[in-house]
Amino acid sequence: MTSIRKNKWFMAVLYLLVFFMLVEWLTPVIVLTETGHKALFLIFIAVGLLMAFLRVPWWFSGPMKMLYILWFIVYVYTGNLFFTSEAISFLRNDFSLNLSALMTQNWAQTTDVFRTVLFFILLWMAIYLIHYWVSFRLSIFLFYLLTVIFIAVLDTFSPYSGETAIIRIMVIGLLLAGLLYLARWMEGHRVVERTDKMALFAVPLVFVIAASTAFALYLPKAGPIWPDPVPFITSFSGQGGAGSAGSIGRIGYGVDDSRLGGSFIGDDTPVFRAEVAEGQYWKVESKDIYTTKGWELTENIGESFVYGNNDTVDTGFVPDEEELETALLSMEQEFPFVLYPYGTQSFSMEEPLDYQYNTADQRFETYQNGEEFEPETVEITFNEPSYSLTALRETELADLAELPAELGRFLQLPDELPERVGDLAAEITESSDTVYDKTRAIERYFSTSGFEYSQTDIPVPEADQDYVDQFLFETQRGYCDNFSTSMVVMLRSLDIPARWVKGFNEGELINSEGDTDIYQVTNNNAHSWVEAYMPGVGWMLFEPTIGFTGASSIDFDLELDPTDPEQLDQEERPLEEDSDNVEEEETAVSSGPSFLDGAAEFISTNRWKIIWTLVAGALLAGILFKIRHKWMPKLLVTYYRSRGGSPQRFEKAYLRLLKQLDLYGIHRRPGQTLKSYAAYIDSFFGTREMSELTEAYERSVYGGDAESVDWLQLRESWENLINRTSG
Amino acid sequence: MNAKERLEQVIDNIEKVIIGKRNIAELSIVAMLSHGHVLLEDVPGVGKTMLVRALAKSVGADFKRIQFTPDLLPSDVVGVSIYNPKDMEFHFRPGPIMGNIILADEINRTSPKTQSSLLEAMEEASVTIDGVTMQIPKPFFVMATQNPIEYEGTYPLPEAQLDRFLLKIKMGYPTPKEEMEVLNRAQSAAPIEELTSVISLNELLELQEQVKTIKVDETIRSYIVDLSRQTRQDSYVYLGVSPRGSIALMKASQAYALLKGRDYVTPDDVQYLAKFVFGHRIMLRSEARYDGITAEEITERILAKTRVPVQRLVGQ
Repeated sequence: MTSIRKNKWFMAVLYLLVFFMLVEWLTPVIVLTETGHKALFLIFIAVGLLMAFLRVPWWFSGPMKMLYILWFIVYVYTGNLFFTSEAISFLRNDFSLNLSALMTQNWAQTTDVFRTVLFFILLWMAIYLIHYWVSFRLSIFLFYLLTVIFIAVLDTFSPYSGETAIIRIMVIGLLLAGLLYLARWMEGHRVVERTDKMALFAVPLVFVIAASTAFALYLPKAGPIWPDPVPFITSFSGQGGAGSAGSIGRIGYGVDDSRLGGSFIGDDTPVFRAEVAEGQYWKVESKDIYTTKGWELTENIGESFVYGNNDTVDTGFVPDEEELETALLSMEQEFPFVLYPYGTQSFSMEEPLDYQYNTADQRFETYQNGEEFEPETVEITFNEPSYSLTALRETELADLAELPAELGRFLQLPDELPERVGDLAAEITESSDTVYDKTRAIERYFSTSGFEYSQTDIPVPEADQDYVDQFLFETQRGYCDNFSTSMVVMLRSLDIPARWVKGFNEGELINSEGDTDIYQVTNNNAHSWVEAYMPGVGWMLFEPTIGFTGASSIDFDLELDPTDPEQLDQEERPLEEDSDNVEEEETAVSSGPSFLDGAAEFISTNRWKIIWTLVAGALLAGILFKIRHKWMPKLLVTYYRSRGGSPQRFEKAYLRLLKQLDLYGIHRRPGQTLKSYAAYIDSFFGTREMSELTEAYERSVYGGDAESVDWLQLRESWENLINRTSG
Repeated sequence: MNAKERLEQVIDNIEKVIIGKRNIAELSIVAMLSHGHVLLEDVPGVGKTMLVRALAKSVGADFKRIQFTPDLLPSDVVGVSIYNPKDMEFHFRPGPIMGNIILADEINRTSPKTQSSLLEAMEEASVTIDGVTMQIPKPFFVMATQNPIEYEGTYPLPEAQLDRFLLKIKMGYPTPKEEMEVLNRAQSAAPIEELTSVISLNELLELQEQVKTIKVDETIRSYIVDLSRQTRQDSYVYLGVSPRGSIALMKASQAYALLKGRDYVTPDDVQYLAKFVFGHRIMLRSEARYDGITAEEITERILAKTRVPVQRLVGQ
């Protein structure tokens, strides 16, 4: 071992730094496990390092450490300062207890003392490992990196705050790594006899670290690029849930809608399977009171009707009786209510059931013998209602004033609603003459005004903020709840009765059997939309959310003037646009929104661009790498010109030349000496420079006479050769 | 005049009588400079004796020749004490071994007993007769020859003895052109008689000391060790090169570097000499003989596959 490791002062500084580093390891462990006696653990580390530093032989240091551990146990667990007879019998009892527990593999029976011993042994190992790294390998980088990762992970996932610890670790680690590099450098260049000058060498290092740390501390810092990943991970592990205010919820059907907003993550847990001719929106219920934060239901109003199997039900949406369809739902999650499509006529199930329909929230609750029942399969006879365009065109604004009183609750708006919401609604519908047109104008507004569909990074409104206002004027991005709530509120501000509906959308088509399609509906398909009341027509479904198609089917029964195609266009356009978007949006949804969703969305929209850019980039890099012998020499010549003429530089340059010649295609066999290789090179190029350089190199390396080499003089020969390799 | 120039003079001198064998002359000098001995293996009549005589003359050394025959006794080699009735005492009559440069001709023809007396003298550079140890004058250089063709009635040297020779050299036939020149010179007076010494014995001793100062870098040492170890691992080899062989290779390389006017050894020196140092130190298995593989070929193969160190070792 050379003398750098014998420089006591230098090593003392190293061990001191290592001690501080270990303190950073120990502190979070102590804090998080609520372990006491931190000082005693620190003393153990300090003693261990001191012994390693003084090179105390193992037969002394080992028993000493063990004695310390035993003393610690005695002191901490029995309160005795010394090894009294009581303490010794405690140790003996504990030992036999743990031994028998270990023998019988009864891990739970081991005592705290045993765990303490294990922890000490762990510390012991850590000390030994670091001692090895520092005084034998002269390298600490791995440990340094692990420390940073350790603290970063703890800071992220545990209550431990590593804000200042990470700075301390950076400084200590850089200092340690820098000093060790210096030591390695000195050994490599055999300048160990000048170790007394070490302090002088270390001054610039300390200065640079101090200056950069101070500079970094006072620089402004950007916020985190990613949101805190912890809620994401905890929600992923199934601990999250919809409506957990302010954070990311799990998507799916929830009951509490009083506080909307926040991001969602995907959840493809199956809810049910639908066998139906065509995908349907499955309605659960609607809500009527907008609270500026979410939706609630007016209590104790409306009537209940109880129907039995095959009774014709009245949902307010009249089926087209001409061709009734059936839908069969196989529930994978069971609810005490049924999901029903628009235009439902009757339910039929194997069991005799009561279907209680509440006009307040339009929910069909299922009962059997007066008790809540969760059906496994539901068979529904229905037909999607269709609406006469002619009738819709006649929904006069004046009719709104003469609506039945029971629709009043669908015009409710909170007093705190900012005025600009109503102003916006009026502006959007300015040029529309009928109720239907106005409703359509609002439905269409989102997709034509730069709104964005996203399930991530959606804020929850603050106490003084309005959910709709925030969406319309600030964020302009959100998911179904944002769109549907905003539409309902805007419609109400125009005195059009509207309600907010919850349910599931059609789901994913997984199979087709003849005329019947099978859809899989998962929690990802939980959805909300809008029903608006068209005077003279009745309730009608509207779908404002970008990327979803759920619009009511319109019977184009107008007697259109064939010279006026615009009218028809106007009606059809939103539908077409929507269907274009569906596929794209669905992939985005099914891929599962996460905190990387922004990136995922960007990638999915620019997928081909990115792929081609990557392919082209890789290709370019590959080609550049393949022909590197063509362009490398130019760089190398400039690089070595800019450097000094030290002998080490010459050796590096020569080795670089060898590599370059190898790339050029003249390979040196493993057993070929440099001299014979040089002779070959010279005969190949018709030069004599290679032999000249090789002789100098051999003198430098084998002769140990680096000083005799005049690199500046040889550089011309070197440049001449290396330039030839680019030919 | 530096070492290289002086040694070149010696070689030039030898070349006056031995035509086209400059490399053999060089190797002989290498062996002599590194206190080693040479085993010349070749058919008779290619100039072995002439080489040794020319070498002896060039350095002004005492030349002795021992013709080994089956009936030669150890005392015929190292000398004998003879009783002188005049002063009633035993007087030591030194044998032919007590010279500077010895040609031990056809060493494999004599009995192992006599062989070992020579080889012991070579190793120790001294002889012990009747309990009295006598130093052989310095420099001491033995060039032994053996005929590879005739095995009838010979005593092949055992492996342990072969290790005592630093180098084993084969002379080989001259090229036609060289042979013509040999004939040409043979017509005139024997040129050997006209040779004069170009360096003194003291100068030779000085050069021997100088060889020890030639630098052998750590990389070179590890290369030598690598090569030796490879011979021990080869599947054709029954017994590889001993650590003494590694030392021999290093010393010979040092002498060769001095001859080439360098004060450090290069891998080229090692590679060049490995063929002569390893040839007689590698004992082959019988499989090798069936496959027609020689020790020289194995050495070549090892040289080709062992990585030449081209970079400074760092941090050791």
